[in-house]
Amino acid sequence: MRIERETNVSDEIPTASMADIAFLLIIYFMITTTFAATQGLDFQLPKEQDDTPLVEKEESVLIEIAASGQLIVDGRPMELGDVLEYLKPKLERDALKPVIIRPDPDSAYRHMVDVFDELRQSEDKIGILVRNISIPTQREIEAFWY
Amino acid sequence: MNVKAARTLKAVIPTASMADIAFLLIIFFMLTMTFEVDKTRVTLPETIVRMEVPKKAAYISVNEAGQIKVSSGDELSVPVATTDDVLSFAAGVVASNPGKEFVIKADGEVPYGTIDGIIDSLKRARVEVIYLLSSAETQEGA
Repeated sequence: MRIERETNVSDEIPTASMADIAFLLIIYFMITTTFAATQGLDFQLPKEQDDTPLVEKEESVLIEIAASGQLIVDGRPMELGDVLEYLKPKLERDALKPVIIRPDPDSAYRHMVDVFDELRQSEDKIGILVRNISIPTQREIEAFWY
Repeated sequence: MNVKAARTLKAVIPTASMADIAFLLIIFFMLTMTFEVDKTRVTLPETIVRMEVPKKAAYISVNEAGQIKVSSGDELSVPVATTDDVLSFAAGVVASNPGKEFVIKADGEVPYGTIDGIIDSLKRARVEVIYLLSSAETQEGA
């Protein structure tokens, strides 16, 4: 009698296509991943209190931003790069000197951010931190400005 | 004479570890992936000083055309008509989470009057901290 040999049946799980599936998933994640901007300038809003001290215009430094983006600091036209040098002696006399930023409603938002960013770099550029920055809104200006 | 058969060498690149590498990459992408709650395309203003925005912060976005969208940080942003709607939205968010941070994601060319209205609404809603989203400024000469 002729005995036939048993056919060899593999007991391994076929993994040849696993790499293909994995790379497909990688391509999916790479295409759908977006690098979201997650950084910015922080701005502490004042708490609404009845005893909030009113700042006299004469005691503060007023930085106005015209519609064109031109800066007017205490009534004088000024370049952005000169603002901190102008502030330095005032901050040396009074570290809590209030600095008010007042942008024109028609000026581009980036001009206000540029000024705010410049003031936030004061410690690195002139060695004194501008502690008291305020950006009053139009409603506050109409209510309290005199 | 006994002639030996020549040994045949198989030209195979070992691919056994390829799946391991691929799955490691998948795990990396899955862990680092965050779902953007606001997909508004804007040209952000550039700044040198940049702080990390807290995760799950509420978003208020303004595109170049001045269209405002809001998101509490948990769901996708939805458009609103005016800054008064921002006030009611922010008041609702602050009522449920008083310390909630807000992020303003606005195009640099938007008129400041629009941003002023949004900041005013956030102040009136008693928001404590806002973040002005920005992109990194390239230093001159760098």
